[in-house]
Amino acid sequence: MLILGLETSTLRSSVALADRDRVLASASLGVPRRHGEFVGPAIRFCLEQCGLAADRVTGVAVGLGPGLFTGLRVGIATAQAFAAARHLPVVGLSGLDVLAFQERYTDRLICAVIDARRGELFWAFYRAAPGGVQREGGLQLGTIDTLVAELIATGEECLVLGDGALAHRELLEDAEVVVAGPDVAWPDAADLAELSVPRFLREQTQQPLDLQPIYLRAADARIGWETRGRMHGGRQQPTPPTDRS
Amino acid sequence: MLVLGVETSCDETAIGIVEDRFALRANVVASQAQLHGPYGGVVPEVAARAHLDLMLPTIDRALVEAGAHLSDIDAIAVTAGPGLAGALLVGVSAAKGLALARDVPLVGVNHLRAHVEAAQLEVGALDPPLAALVVSGGHTSIVVMDADGSFRQLGATIDDAAGEAFDKIARFLGLGYPGGPEIDRLSQGGNPRAYHFPRAMLHDGTYDLSLSGLKTAVIRELRRLEAVGEEPVLADVAASFQEAIVDVQAIKTLRAVADEGLEQVVLAGGVAANRRLRARMQADCDERGLRLIVPSIPLCTDNGAMVAASGANLLAAGHLDDLSLAVDPNLPLAVATEPPG
Repeated sequence: MLILGLETSTLRSSVALADRDRVLASASLGVPRRHGEFVGPAIRFCLEQCGLAADRVTGVAVGLGPGLFTGLRVGIATAQAFAAARHLPVVGLSGLDVLAFQERYTDRLICAVIDARRGELFWAFYRAAPGGVQREGGLQLGTIDTLVAELIATGEECLVLGDGALAHRELLEDAEVVVAGPDVAWPDAADLAELSVPRFLREQTQQPLDLQPIYLRAADARIGWETRGRMHGGRQQPTPPTDRS
Repeated sequence: MLVLGVETSCDETAIGIVEDRFALRANVVASQAQLHGPYGGVVPEVAARAHLDLMLPTIDRALVEAGAHLSDIDAIAVTAGPGLAGALLVGVSAAKGLALARDVPLVGVNHLRAHVEAAQLEVGALDPPLAALVVSGGHTSIVVMDADGSFRQLGATIDDAAGEAFDKIARFLGLGYPGGPEIDRLSQGGNPRAYHFPRAMLHDGTYDLSLSGLKTAVIRELRRLEAVGEEPVLADVAASFQEAIVDVQAIKTLRAVADEGLEQVVLAGGVAANRRLRARMQADCDERGLRLIVPSIPLCTDNGAMVAASGANLLAAGHLDDLSLAVDPNLPLAVATEPPG
């Protein structure tokens, strides 16, 4: 078994190779907006460091978001094409699940929080469980005020992690919540690969086409003529009739 | 040698397969026009999401059409720009996934150049030097392919692309999206001289075009007619507007051809499907004894076969890209995808 993991749904991009026992190689980059350039060479790097060819990979795991739309599409498009080209099974996991996995040894209620931009956050609650963490409830999109209210309403000691938490560290600490540091602020492909191994072993896998990104937010319907430069020219900003979902 | 071409620069998810540079094996386009119709233009985030949904099914359809398997593909070509960044990135990421998994070369292609090179799938090897008018929803460019096969841009629209002007006027007239075919159809019964709309920058000594003022003039005229209680003859408005756009493009292109001393013209891009533009370019070229090459419509509109053809040319010239290939929404014609030497 050789699993290729890709996680590109936050500003950090990462790639890992794992077998059933351990992570063999990983590479990550914390420079924003470089997902597209990084992932391909990183996959090749991990394979080469292990002395393995691409045809040895037996499954592909990928982070589905929520997070940066453009980033998560890089991971999913690469994963789908790679897997389809070799008829491999895939496992897609939420980046929030992967993020929370890093705190799997705590007794506290875990809250994974990813920056959703535009003054909003993505989050979900987890509890440590045998083999990792168990999500409690759904994935959510909302403001920091809503999140703080939810954390207080739990009446429990909470551990909050993720770049969305770091961005609001003071507000969260005022609410007497423990905020984990930047070392565990982003979902990582090594954790993703490790988390996916039991699913591959149990054959709880999908076909590449089944992978669906988790956007949690409707597509921004702005046409954005003004940002298209000379190629798209016009400067008019039409008002879209309705917002698509 | 089979090259698979991936095109996602705008609102068509397209895969083409080309054999030995000149033989078309598959050309499959999954159009998103229906998704963007309600907005009257391409919405970047909607396009990027749709590209991801459509990518694998479109690859599969192309392979079926070509009677091939991915294991038969010898190289992957992909549009690296110009285009919408988020849309391009889906295609480039998928292309890298394929290239990595099959361990085949990857080559990034310039979308504009590919539009011109699409012609080689119908007329065989192009025999440059030649000029080309590449005109679509995103582009209105006059380019030259020099004798050595390199490209340079002579001029381009400084505001709206022709297809975009068609879309906006169609929208104003309450016609469907995309606007080009609607205007073309409506113009059939109209008088192209009924209204006089401006031809901008005709005598400015450049090969650049401006279509935004024309669009404004059409809208102003319609508003004026409304104010005086006169019912506009829509077919005449459409025909007169179309005539003005066609005029500017034909005049500027033919001037470039004359100034450069060329004898061949390629008309490419989605707007090359416009019947008036084709007829006018044909008439002007015939009059001057020039050869006009117009690919058939499936090779004019955005497609993957042109990307595969362009990529095959680059590979034949010894050019290829590594896996760090970046998308460039404003990719210039003359760099990055130019063969070495």
